[in-house]
Amino acid sequence: MKSIVHLIGGEADIGHTRWFWIGLAVAIVLLFFYPTQVSSFRASNVAFYLLNVPLGLGMALLWGYCGVLSFGHVAYFGIAGYLYGIIAGNMPGNPLGPITGMIGGLVGCGLVAAIFGYFVFYARVQKWIIPILTLVFTLLLETFLGQTAGYQWRVGSVLLGGYNGMTGIPWFQLGGLVFEGYAFYYFCLVIVIACYFGLRMLMNSRFGQVTIAIREDELRAELLGYDIRARQAAIFVLSAMLAGLSGLLYVQWGNYITPSQVGLLQAALPVVWTAVGGRTSLLAVVISTLVLNWLTYTLSSQGNQYAMVIIGALLVVTMMFFPRGIVVMLAETIGRRMPRRTRAET
Amino acid sequence: MTESLPLALSLLYQLGATASFLFLAAVGLIIILGMMNIINLAHGELMMMGAYVATITHHAGLPFPIAVIVSFFFVAAFGAVLELVIVRRFYGRELGALVVTWGISLVLGQGALLFFGPFMPSIKIPGGSFSYGVFSYSVYWLILMLACALLVLALWIVYSRTTYGLQAKATMQNAEMAKSLGVPTSRIYTLTFSFGAGLAGLSGALLAPTATIAPFMGQQFVAPAFITVVVGGATNVIGGAIGSSVLLAAVKTPIGMALGAFSGSVALLVAALFIIRIMPNGISAQLQKYLDRRAQGGWR
Amino acid sequence: MSESKDKKKTDIEDSADTANAQDRASSLGPKIKRRTFIQSSGAAAVALAAPMVVPGLKVARAAGDPVKIGHIEDLSGNLAVYGVQKYHAAQLAVKEINEGKTLKGGPVGSGGLGSMAKFAVAPPVMGAGDKDLKYVNDGGALTGAGMAFVEDDDVLVDSGESGLLGREVELIGPDGQSNNNIWQQLTRRLIQEDKVDCLVAGFTSAEREAIRPIVDQHKQLYIYTNQYEGGVADSNTFCTGAIVEQQVIPVVDYMIQKFGPRVYTIAADYNFGQLTAAWTKAFAPLVGGEIIEEEFVPLSVSDFTTSIARVQAAKPDWVFTLLVGSNQSNYYPQAAAAGLEYPMASTVNMAQGYEHRRFKPPSLNRMYNCVNYIEEIPTARNRAFVKRWYEMFPNDPYIGQMAQNTYFSIHLYALAARLAGTTDQEVVKKALESGLSIEAPEGAVFLEPSTHHCSHYIRLATADANHNVSFVREWPSIQPWWLQRVGVNLVKHKEYKQYIPGEDPFFKMFAK
Repeated sequence: MKSIVHLIGGEADIGHTRWFWIGLAVAIVLLFFYPTQVSSFRASNVAFYLLNVPLGLGMALLWGYCGVLSFGHVAYFGIAGYLYGIIAGNMPGNPLGPITGMIGGLVGCGLVAAIFGYFVFYARVQKWIIPILTLVFTLLLETFLGQTAGYQWRVGSVLLGGYNGMTGIPWFQLGGLVFEGYAFYYFCLVIVIACYFGLRMLMNSRFGQVTIAIREDELRAELLGYDIRARQAAIFVLSAMLAGLSGLLYVQWGNYITPSQVGLLQAALPVVWTAVGGRTSLLAVVISTLVLNWLTYTLSSQGNQYAMVIIGALLVVTMMFFPRGIVVMLAETIGRRMPRRTRAET
Repeated sequence: MTESLPLALSLLYQLGATASFLFLAAVGLIIILGMMNIINLAHGELMMMGAYVATITHHAGLPFPIAVIVSFFFVAAFGAVLELVIVRRFYGRELGALVVTWGISLVLGQGALLFFGPFMPSIKIPGGSFSYGVFSYSVYWLILMLACALLVLALWIVYSRTTYGLQAKATMQNAEMAKSLGVPTSRIYTLTFSFGAGLAGLSGALLAPTATIAPFMGQQFVAPAFITVVVGGATNVIGGAIGSSVLLAAVKTPIGMALGAFSGSVALLVAALFIIRIMPNGISAQLQKYLDRRAQGGWR
Repeated sequence: MSESKDKKKTDIEDSADTANAQDRASSLGPKIKRRTFIQSSGAAAVALAAPMVVPGLKVARAAGDPVKIGHIEDLSGNLAVYGVQKYHAAQLAVKEINEGKTLKGGPVGSGGLGSMAKFAVAPPVMGAGDKDLKYVNDGGALTGAGMAFVEDDDVLVDSGESGLLGREVELIGPDGQSNNNIWQQLTRRLIQEDKVDCLVAGFTSAEREAIRPIVDQHKQLYIYTNQYEGGVADSNTFCTGAIVEQQVIPVVDYMIQKFGPRVYTIAADYNFGQLTAAWTKAFAPLVGGEIIEEEFVPLSVSDFTTSIARVQAAKPDWVFTLLVGSNQSNYYPQAAAAGLEYPMASTVNMAQGYEHRRFKPPSLNRMYNCVNYIEEIPTARNRAFVKRWYEMFPNDPYIGQMAQNTYFSIHLYALAARLAGTTDQEVVKKALESGLSIEAPEGAVFLEPSTHHCSHYIRLATADANHNVSFVREWPSIQPWWLQRVGVNLVKHKEYKQYIPGEDPFFKMFAK
């Protein structure tokens, strides 16, 4: 028990003071009570912000903690989503369908990521090429899925649907409990919280420390006897599965997915969330993912043609004045003012 | 079905056209990425800007070649401002630069839509056509191939014969050392970014007659540009760009001709993945190795 | 749920107060009394009629509460080119309704315009020989006795009230940003928060498919106004754009007769392009044509050098171009510059992205296009419409096919709501299923009840070497018949799916 507390409270993420933990607890409690106060429409909107969080966290893990940037993580988002649609769609009425789809989706995108990771990391390609390689991969996937409009492109009874997308993807279901409306909100919330604390513990463990060591100096870590290729590939697979988790929640939220989800425009988004929040902190990425998604929606719902200009300008300004991420730098400013003696782990 | 000589000529022409398209799409990006290590996601929008400047000045009465030169200088000036105000804060933080340039691209694209509306009347493609066998050809693509050759020559002169070029190369290899030797590194960075932006504008202007002039037209160039740059590699940026555009066109053209446009573009992407797997540092590293070996042989 | 029941009751109460307005409204159409209509319109209306007898029901809503029309289009991003046009069309229609204007129209019975016309418009019939195919009726002379084809110059008339059912019409038009996720969020907002009475939305088929599950979940009345690949059979959705069988078949037949049987199809590699190409492939042999080559181009491709060489190597009689989006329209100037001079046919270009205005002549020389609307239509009613448009939006570059569809669709909704006497969505849906026709700028349009698609006045437009548009042939009414052939009857059986030709046993026979 003590070791779990120690793992959660470790140095690998911002927030160590008592006030921080109180604040986080209040935030979580508020998120749990939020649906009781609002319409199911609002709850479903916030659920959409929440379901993007694992994708952002995967990005932070890979880029911030491991130093490898992927510009095509949406490919795994898409693979998991499509697999879920195919598997669950072929088992209509079967209560085990959705859970099989979830497992199949996660395993599938993990496998693809493992093959791709082997390709990239064991070839020791240059670091700056990895973003482009991953981007090419996701563009290939988009091109392939885009031409699957015909009737011959069906798996079992499910049509892939080309650019119109795959429709009628079922909700998640456990036994008789179908996760839609408010239940889906709680499903997302629980997954997000579990992902956050799970990753925080992982990064505070020995595995996480070695990962950070590789980020800091690959050569030194290798000379100390660590197989950096295997570590990087492992992190790559894990982060791809997190992206896949987001994909699974996404297709359940909208009952729908299209190839544009793995296109260029979507591919840039997780990178932006991560960079704006601060890639060296998991919590920062959680916050920026939620806020940026909220902002995009709010601006567009007002029918404002300037929405994209505003978002673009905001990114530029944020990156100019908060180069390591707005949340991370604000947290440091607050942290400097706060006395460090109230550390939670003592 | 078709006689073999006209077919061979047509394939050659297609190869040249596709290679020049790839080269033009990539050339501005490769200067900025290869020399400054900045992944410029606003590259497409800079090309869009070049196309807009050329279109507007051409419709205002300038001859097309002059309009192209005007767009080079206009976009280069814009690039210089961009570097001085924003980009220079991001040296050494390449990935921050990536997000910032993405933000810039959003502002430029949507800004162009708000300012100029959805479409611009296009420029008529200069030059006529000629035919041989069943195939007919556009003269303008031949002009573009020539323009690419001239560009390569100009780049080679700039980077191996001018003071700026030599200082730039020195700065890219070791900025600290160059600075202590008296190279004005800060100005070099501004010039390089501005030059890269100007080249993007120039390519945009050259490709403008063949394209729809619309605010988001830049997006079509982004993926081909990045693929060409990555396959080329950073060891010798110009050699890499030529090598990769020709190689990729050589894969795409025959497959596209035999099986259609879809197979052609898939072949291009797959070829890119395999080339990078075989040559992780791109074609230019392979080229450099070959040149070094020959140079050593010469000494012996 | 109970809340919405209350809403229905109050709507009925309201409607009783404004009975005068409805009497005037329904007198616009042929003599069908509203009461008869409601009685005959099925169980839903009967169930709703029950609360009317409850005495002393309190009117909960304020009298001035507006009728809300939700409208989502892309005002920014890649598709804003078309979205802004459609948004302006909606603004124009709503303004006219609030100023007390309406387009002429009313119920003509379930047989549609054809039932009143001299010549019935029939679905294709397979004859004995290959070429004996009656695919569409030309409609005869324009002055035929049938009321359907009477050209009426002045179609915008007084509705007798300002607004709709005594209430102001409010347009809520958020921006979809060319992003499917935002589309889903906005649809939920418009349905659940704003509680719009009618949703008009969608440019791409992907956008429509993204929001249709949400529409069906809430039984929202939804109008999709785009031209598309066809096949949507959805009880809550009304598709007012032209579909494949209305556009492809006439143009392919004309081109084969005029230029010859060898066809080269070059199509966008996505749903619309693939399905339209499949239709062409199935249909061309029946009129003596032959598809010698089909090429599909991914949406990201913008360099057409290889495709142009392929066309030349194949030596077709004419080229069928089904290219979509701004990247792909590069094909036309590139092909013209390479000296490609084959006649071309299409169903998407010109009327949508006004390529003939943007590209320098003669890029679109000898381009033939089957459209249900194009700004250049020379009729008096269209000139009046164009004039009204540019008075309101003087800086607009063009009025496209989809913009006209959105314009008449909103007037059509107003017509149906007046007929229903309420904005209750179930009742308005029944009213829309009553065989309504409306005098749109293109000509008379009939909403076919069983498939929720429209018959259209189709014209074959062509551009010459100077990009002047002329019309070579007209079909005053072409019905959407494929879904009927599949057996869809939404009046009797509720459905919520999109059919594709591969599922239709008839289509396979059709395609041999």
